[in-house]
Amino acid sequence: MTSAVTEAETEDRAARPAKAPAGVTAGQPGGAGRRPDRLSRQNLAGWLYSTPFLAFFLTFMAFPIVATLLMSFTDFGLRHVTHPLDAEWVGLDNYAALLQDDKFLTALFNTGYFVVLGVPLTIGCGLVAAVLLNSGIDRLRTFFRVGFYVPVVTAIVAVAVIWRFVLDPSEGLIAGLGAQLGFSTPDFLASETLAMPSLIVMAVWRNMGTAMVLFLAGLQAIPAEVREAARIDGAGPLQEFRRITVPLLRPTMLYVSVMTTIGFLNVFEEPFVMTDGGPDDSTLTVSLHMYEEGFRFFHMGSASAMAYVLFTVVLAVTLLQLRLLKDKTR
Amino acid sequence: MSRNALSRTTITATALVLSLGLAACGGGDGDQVGADAKQTLTIWGMGEEAKRLEEVAKDFTEKHPNITVKVTPVGWDVVGQKMTSAAAAGTLPDMAQMGSTMMGEFIALDALEPVDEKVFDKADFFPATWDNNVVDGVSYGVPWYADVRALYYRTDIAEKAGKGKEPATWDEHHALAEAYKKNGATWGTELQPGSTGAWQTWLPFLYSEGGELIGEDGKPALDSPEAVRAFERFGSYFEDGLAKKNFVVGRDVAKDFGAGKVPMFMSGPWMVQNLDEQQPQIKGKWKVAPLPAGSKGSVSWVGGSSLVTFKDSAHKAAAEKFTQFLTTPKMQAHWYEISKSLPANKAAWNEPEMQNSETLPVFEKSLDTAKDVPPLEKWTEFAVQIEEAMEKVARGADPAATAKKLQKATEGLVDQ
Repeated sequence: MTSAVTEAETEDRAARPAKAPAGVTAGQPGGAGRRPDRLSRQNLAGWLYSTPFLAFFLTFMAFPIVATLLMSFTDFGLRHVTHPLDAEWVGLDNYAALLQDDKFLTALFNTGYFVVLGVPLTIGCGLVAAVLLNSGIDRLRTFFRVGFYVPVVTAIVAVAVIWRFVLDPSEGLIAGLGAQLGFSTPDFLASETLAMPSLIVMAVWRNMGTAMVLFLAGLQAIPAEVREAARIDGAGPLQEFRRITVPLLRPTMLYVSVMTTIGFLNVFEEPFVMTDGGPDDSTLTVSLHMYEEGFRFFHMGSASAMAYVLFTVVLAVTLLQLRLLKDKTR
Repeated sequence: MSRNALSRTTITATALVLSLGLAACGGGDGDQVGADAKQTLTIWGMGEEAKRLEEVAKDFTEKHPNITVKVTPVGWDVVGQKMTSAAAAGTLPDMAQMGSTMMGEFIALDALEPVDEKVFDKADFFPATWDNNVVDGVSYGVPWYADVRALYYRTDIAEKAGKGKEPATWDEHHALAEAYKKNGATWGTELQPGSTGAWQTWLPFLYSEGGELIGEDGKPALDSPEAVRAFERFGSYFEDGLAKKNFVVGRDVAKDFGAGKVPMFMSGPWMVQNLDEQQPQIKGKWKVAPLPAGSKGSVSWVGGSSLVTFKDSAHKAAAEKFTQFLTTPKMQAHWYEISKSLPANKAAWNEPEMQNSETLPVFEKSLDTAKDVPPLEKWTEFAVQIEEAMEKVARGADPAATAKKLQKATEGLVDQ
């Protein structure tokens, strides 16, 4: 629930610099002559139209968000499932306990590891694929575009089956190739050091399609004149990429990196289907830990506290990104 | 990426909080429907068993035309969550099939109706199946079927390795694993080193040494000398390279067994049918034996399912009738025939359906000496602690020190 809010929020913020022309702030419609009675006929229609959304939002988003916050200050556990009002208010105990909890700290570290490696790789791969598709490859463009995007829309269960096959130590694709070429391959998912990198590779493969599509759209918005001018000034392809493409892609870059980071910070599915957090907690992420605490052990109080810690981290990282990647040309 | 997980959190949180209002309106004993009135009895069954239960329920309705039984299938993997949510929302059915390790949680939730011991006689059932449902002298479920673990091993490879004899003790088991490995098997035996469900692998080591999960003082007994010995023995297989240290989610043991890569494993009675169906090429080349004996003999553990009636049900009389119907020796033997689940009622083992099998006597013998998994409110957490300790030992941690840590970690999980 937490991520949905930040996602919507950041989406809004991030998209704005991309869409709104520089220096123009949209005028507020009807700002000056607003009538005092808010339930005028016109407004009523507006309220009616937004009621379905509002009802849905309040029931399934706002209410649980507040309920989770409240729960994070209680000792809500299994027994309170049937008697919710018996849960006791424990203040910040849940949060304090989290900081002492080795498992949570491990999960936090693993999530950080996943983000620090996974996000730049996803963005990098997405950008390279987009640039190549935008200029280099002509004939098979659609084929590649679909090829890179398919993993994004494939169900995680199918993805897990494929990747288990790829990584299987005895009859997997990599093991098979290794055997053909005469070297032995490790058991990726069962190794404490290699399990997380394997999941990162898988996540990059799964998510670069989104980045690629967004970058493609961004690339097409770069005016041809600018490139032409650069070329006339004697810029080679690499220089053009560094000095023209990347800076002009900045708004897209901001959006992609914010969205990818939020997604990666919330990583759940990859370890859930592939490793169950193992071996020895080396792929346990915050979301997975939260899920286990909440729905296997019914430590709802503690799980809610984790949700809010994760929310705070997501918010902080997002704000930092918005600041660092702000478009300084405007 | 995690939208699903979080929206699941959202939904359950919503359900839990919505139940704030609903919880107060749970039905009491006031409005019971008599056994002779026309009524529909709702029952939740797990996975495949739900389908078979539906067939059996038809026979029941033939005898009791006024009672219609409605079976709802629920997957084993989600049943814990679904039932807890239903308990929260007050939408539990009249009855359910309940897995042995879930009993503690639902007894603690005060959601189960005690069993009338004048109607169901403890002496009719295998002791471990009955004890599994008892807290403070009150029984909350009638044993329906029993799962007991036994040892599966490849006789052809054993003979080739010069080990014709059934491994009767853990030492012989260890030696056979070594022989297997020397004769081309990838691993001497399958032993789940950690991850969900691994506790099932360790329990026989503990029980056969005379150890207990919960000691007589009501506290965990996981750093007892017996428990340390169990960890030592368990760890030795990994130390000697006889079992795979790393567990991979979704691994199929039967496949490796059929291919001779892992010629030995411990599992329940359902594996007999699985092997017959999925690995027909090894027919006659494997056997089931009782689990190897430790210093206190061969002691397996009993899982399986019981039949429970929920406290809020208005059809308790009908539920009792249906439970009786399902636990008669005849019906239990018939149930074995259609589902291969072992009868919990001892008399059922004399029925004709239960004869003429090579494997059944092994399981019957194991059931007699097997022990139960005590019903604990926080069993899931308790089990995860054991599994984490196992994983550490499998990776070479000191058994005694790990047991000590485990004891500390579990002390807070028992007796609140």
